[in-house]
Amino acid sequence: MLYYAKTEALRMLRNRRYLIFVVAFPVLLYLINSNIYGNQTDAGGVKYSVILMVSMAAYGALASSMMSSAVPWATERQSGWLRQLQITPLPSWAIIVTKLGATMVLVLPSLVLVSLAAVVQQHVSLSLGTWAELLLALWLGVLPFVALGLAIGSVLSADAAQPAAMICMFALAIAGGLWFPPEVLGDTLRTVADVTPSFHYARLGQSIVAGQGLPMTDVLVVAGWAVALGGAAAYLYHRATVRV
Amino acid sequence: MNAIVFDHVSKHYGDVLAVDDLSLAIEPGNTVALLGPNGAGKSTSINLLLGLLKPTAGTVAVHSRTPDEAVRAGQMGAMLQNGALIPELSVKELIDLVRRLYPHPLALDEILKLADLTELAGRRANKLSGGQSQRVRFALAIAGAPKILLLDEPTAAMDVESRLRFWASMHDYASGGRTVLFATHYLEEADEHSDRVIVIAKGRLAADGTAAEIKAGAGGHTVSFALGEQPAAGLDRLPGVTAVEVAGGVVTLHTSDTDATLAALYRGTTLDVSGLKLSSADLESAFLALTRES
Repeated sequence: MLYYAKTEALRMLRNRRYLIFVVAFPVLLYLINSNIYGNQTDAGGVKYSVILMVSMAAYGALASSMMSSAVPWATERQSGWLRQLQITPLPSWAIIVTKLGATMVLVLPSLVLVSLAAVVQQHVSLSLGTWAELLLALWLGVLPFVALGLAIGSVLSADAAQPAAMICMFALAIAGGLWFPPEVLGDTLRTVADVTPSFHYARLGQSIVAGQGLPMTDVLVVAGWAVALGGAAAYLYHRATVRV
Repeated sequence: MNAIVFDHVSKHYGDVLAVDDLSLAIEPGNTVALLGPNGAGKSTSINLLLGLLKPTAGTVAVHSRTPDEAVRAGQMGAMLQNGALIPELSVKELIDLVRRLYPHPLALDEILKLADLTELAGRRANKLSGGQSQRVRFALAIAGAPKILLLDEPTAAMDVESRLRFWASMHDYASGGRTVLFATHYLEEADEHSDRVIVIAKGRLAADGTAAEIKAGAGGHTVSFALGEQPAAGLDRLPGVTAVEVAGGVVTLHTSDTDATLAALYRGTTLDVSGLKLSSADLESAFLALTRES
């Protein structure tokens, strides 16, 4: 099973689409934006180079968690690779748990590379404890998105999963204020954004770099979404693989 | 103990009856062909054996266990129809991935050798030809050293040379005392590569035996002669006769025993027999006769 997980991760790292859109894109976006706005500070006195780092790392993590789960999973289900695995001794639950694990690993390059770009290019410096807290929160916080990706991949065909995952990802990125501050959305959309997991996910990171520690509300909302979407993914996975 | 047992197995898809009260048993170590036209229920039977489908009625047993248990124990290997590979992985990585999921797999080198893939080991799966992909899928099927190997129309995408190489590989694997069941609609394949042929049509067992027995069985031989204006009544009651066809003044008797039919034709009837022709039918006409009747 460990070897299976390793192979899963390896294959995505060889996937050009994953590398360009998921790993390189957020780093590039960060470099462009931070060179324009990096020296300004927000109301709380945090430099934009840091805020943008959190936003872009969060965006990269969101993108990789959804793009490396939904489409490959839908494709495998459709193409017969899943059947190939189902007739090996590997238990059915192990397949989806491995997918989850491999996707979590694939989130790390985005997080690490955006942070690295921030340190090297914008000389962002945080205490070791803050770094650890930030990266861990942003890493574990992607769970709802991985679950959503797997749920999409369990229901839709590969052709439909691609746009569905894209739309969900863009909607979550915008609602979470990962591309521009949520204030520009207007009141109605703000209310909607307020319940999305991505909004609270981004707030986790922003609170940590603002030195406010882990906000319990945001942790609970993200965890709640993780449980709800995880349940949905497990149910839909079961439905997709059940033998009748 | 039988390797494979179907006990009054039926499988419905909605209103469609894909497998209809099928009973059969296969002993360990045999290589058996499951022969039938498209839609006969071959793939459904194989999926039932793997636990990928559950029977509507009856039971399927693999070495006295349920298919699910046999799969979990690593006893089953299969080449299914439309089984895709992971494009980003190499042949070697794919095979190693699957073999590591089994408790007592074959060695990687041995698998590559058996499937004739040693030279392609480093190639990515998306750079393989159709026949090469089929060989990789064969390799995945045998990787775990399963006691029972199921092949669902394994040579479908292969050219003539690939087919020959494929069957050689299959025989190498089967020679280790393993049970092989392959589905095909190619009569020659069933004839040449199996110890036993099970013919199914419309989900039912149509014939079961060696290729030679099936050829000799229902409608295996024909006796034809010019009947002219004479009545054909009573010909169907001659010994050995299974079917009578009259066309353009020529009657064709399908028989399982040419000698008995001929003797009765000359001694037991007053017909004027002229233009007599005898033929020992090949498996193809036996197959057509069998699948038409049922």
